[in-house]
Amino acid sequence: MSIEVKDISYTYMTKTPFERQALRNVTVTIEKGEFVAIIGHTGSGKSTLAEHLNGLLTPSTGTVCVDGVNLNGKGDKVRSAKHKVGIVFQYPEHQLFAETIYEDIAFGPRNSGKSEEEVEKQVRKAMGFVGLDYDAFSTRSPFQLSGGQMRRVAIAGVIAMDPEYLIMDEPSAGLDPISRDAIFAQLSTVFKERDIAVILITHSMEEAAQYASRLLVMAKGQIAIDGKTELVFKEQRERLQEVGVDIPESIKITDLLCEKGLKLEKQAITKEQLVQYIKKAKGWS
Amino acid sequence: MQPIIKVKNLTHIYTDGQNNKIKALDDINLAIMPGEFVAIIGTNGSGKSTLARHFNALLQPTEGKCFVNGLDISVDENIWHVRQNIGMVFQNPDNQIVASIVEEDVAFGPENIGIPHAEIRPRVEAALASVNMTEYAKHAPHLLSGGQKQRIAIAGVLALLPQCIVFDEPTAMLDPRGRKDIVKIVQNLNKEKHITIVYITHKMEEAILADRVIAMEKGKIVMEGTPAEVFGQVKKIHELGLEAPLSAEVAEALRQAGYELSRDIITDEELATALCQ
Ligand SMILES: Nc1ncnc2c1ncn2[C@@H]1O[C@H](COP(=O)(O)OP(=O)(O)OP(=O)(O)O)[C@@H](O)[C@H]1O
Ligand SMILES: Nc1ncnc2c1ncn2[C@@H]1O[C@H](COP(=O)(O)OP(=O)(O)OP(=O)(O)O)[C@@H](O)[C@H]1O
Ligand SMILES: [Mg+2]
Ligand SMILES: [Mg+2]
Repeated sequence: MSIEVKDISYTYMTKTPFERQALRNVTVTIEKGEFVAIIGHTGSGKSTLAEHLNGLLTPSTGTVCVDGVNLNGKGDKVRSAKHKVGIVFQYPEHQLFAETIYEDIAFGPRNSGKSEEEVEKQVRKAMGFVGLDYDAFSTRSPFQLSGGQMRRVAIAGVIAMDPEYLIMDEPSAGLDPISRDAIFAQLSTVFKERDIAVILITHSMEEAAQYASRLLVMAKGQIAIDGKTELVFKEQRERLQEVGVDIPESIKITDLLCEKGLKLEKQAITKEQLVQYIKKAKGWS
Repeated sequence: MQPIIKVKNLTHIYTDGQNNKIKALDDINLAIMPGEFVAIIGTNGSGKSTLARHFNALLQPTEGKCFVNGLDISVDENIWHVRQNIGMVFQNPDNQIVASIVEEDVAFGPENIGIPHAEIRPRVEAALASVNMTEYAKHAPHLLSGGQKQRIAIAGVLALLPQCIVFDEPTAMLDPRGRKDIVKIVQNLNKEKHITIVYITHKMEEAILADRVIAMEKGKIVMEGTPAEVFGQVKKIHELGLEAPLSAEVAEALRQAGYELSRDIITDEELATALCQ
């Protein structure tokens, strides 16, 4: 069970002066049960790749298959393959459309033929997931909200569809830090319980380091690095710098401490690790 | 000295399309002085953007008053002065571009408020230079990166020669490099051009660059002080559903475990110095 991307290329606005090749011969397979982060410089092709994974864009050359079904085709099989992939867009206002938050989130479950009772259950669950109070928000308009609230509705709408492959393009932009952590914590739980694949596109190296076990680094429309997150941040520092990608704050602190004479046993990724390693290095524990 | 922005007992209540009433601001009092760099933090929905939108009269108070240079923003004759002196830069770089060539985009603001033609050109050139985008003057904005577009948006505001710029999460959509560029430009505008800065952000590493940090919760201002004063109170910050910069968080965790560390630690450098002396 996987999304299989085979040698795809994509060019925007072909045969115009604005022609731009955004993907070049990208090949990658993402299995169910993987939590993958895609990082990379602005314009490196992350969103373009994401939009191929549920058939929103069709590659100029190459193929994208979900559980063995080529998305570039017609019929029920293709439709149901596309339905397995849920995507939270980079700009949430692009995916909101209904009069109320309830209706917006209910769209997906209703579309998959659930009873109204089940739909409501699904909506309540999804709103809980993103920390929106059902009574306070379900009858409100999704367009008259704060930025962070709007993003939560967009995330809830996709969560309510119970996707088997969940793609999130910069989901935390505009979320306050504690809500972001809460949403990611729930995501990790769902990810483990339901054995789905999560593909997280992010400019936050902290998020990538904390949640993803595999890291895809994009540069100029190609996958420049594909490896275990921990190892990439440890062993590919020069290459990361070359492609204009940062490292997590916790690793910067690890480096700075080392430079000033306090050597930690390992590169810290989380705050807890950092605290633990510092205590150890100082002989405090 | 007169505050550039003064807010008195400001309450804002929205009525949405479904006729729900939402109290977004609840009796706010605030003064921002010329040349200050103020950061506003707070959880989603705490009222940051609503407050900021009063500063240039995009919103009007339901109750209370907002003054710019002593002029009431709810008086029609004052709106022109307010809009010219308080610029706004928003989160999404794509929604702020109006023209198909960079220099025309930057000229749009001054043209719109009737600045004479001869004066516009030098203003556009100066504005583009301030954000290091001179060489892109003839480019098409939609082909630029998010960070570059955001710099164009800032140039567009600078061309109005405002006294103050309000930034509403200007780096939320940017990659780390774009984020760094914007932060540096904001600091320069404040330090070198003495432009007053109001800076809304969820990124605490950015908030600590301000002279003063204001924390909001449920439409009220609940904390205020220098970055060290505010982020030194890590527990209170957590109670507000917020987070301190990583170094301050680590220092707090070490203090909790019984180790003596100063409450002033908020940067990586300060943490490293304290631990390695
Ligand atoms: N609709 C479009 N029309 C033309 N060119 C586009 C379009 N969308 C993206 N591009 C171009 O394709 C390239 C890849 O863009 P993409 O949005 O996939 O990058 P990204 O890695 O998601 O960037 P960011 O980090 O800024 O979101 C860029 O050069 C971009 O300018
Ligand atoms: N146009 C609107 N109509 C009705 N209610 C609104 C509107 N805009 C915002 N609100 C509500 O007002 C409150 C404050 O929103 P505001 O946008 O000021 O929050 P914020 O602090 O900027 O949050 P964020 O961090 O998510 O951007 C929220 O409860 C929000 O739902
Ligand atoms: Mg993108
Ligand atoms: Mg806001």
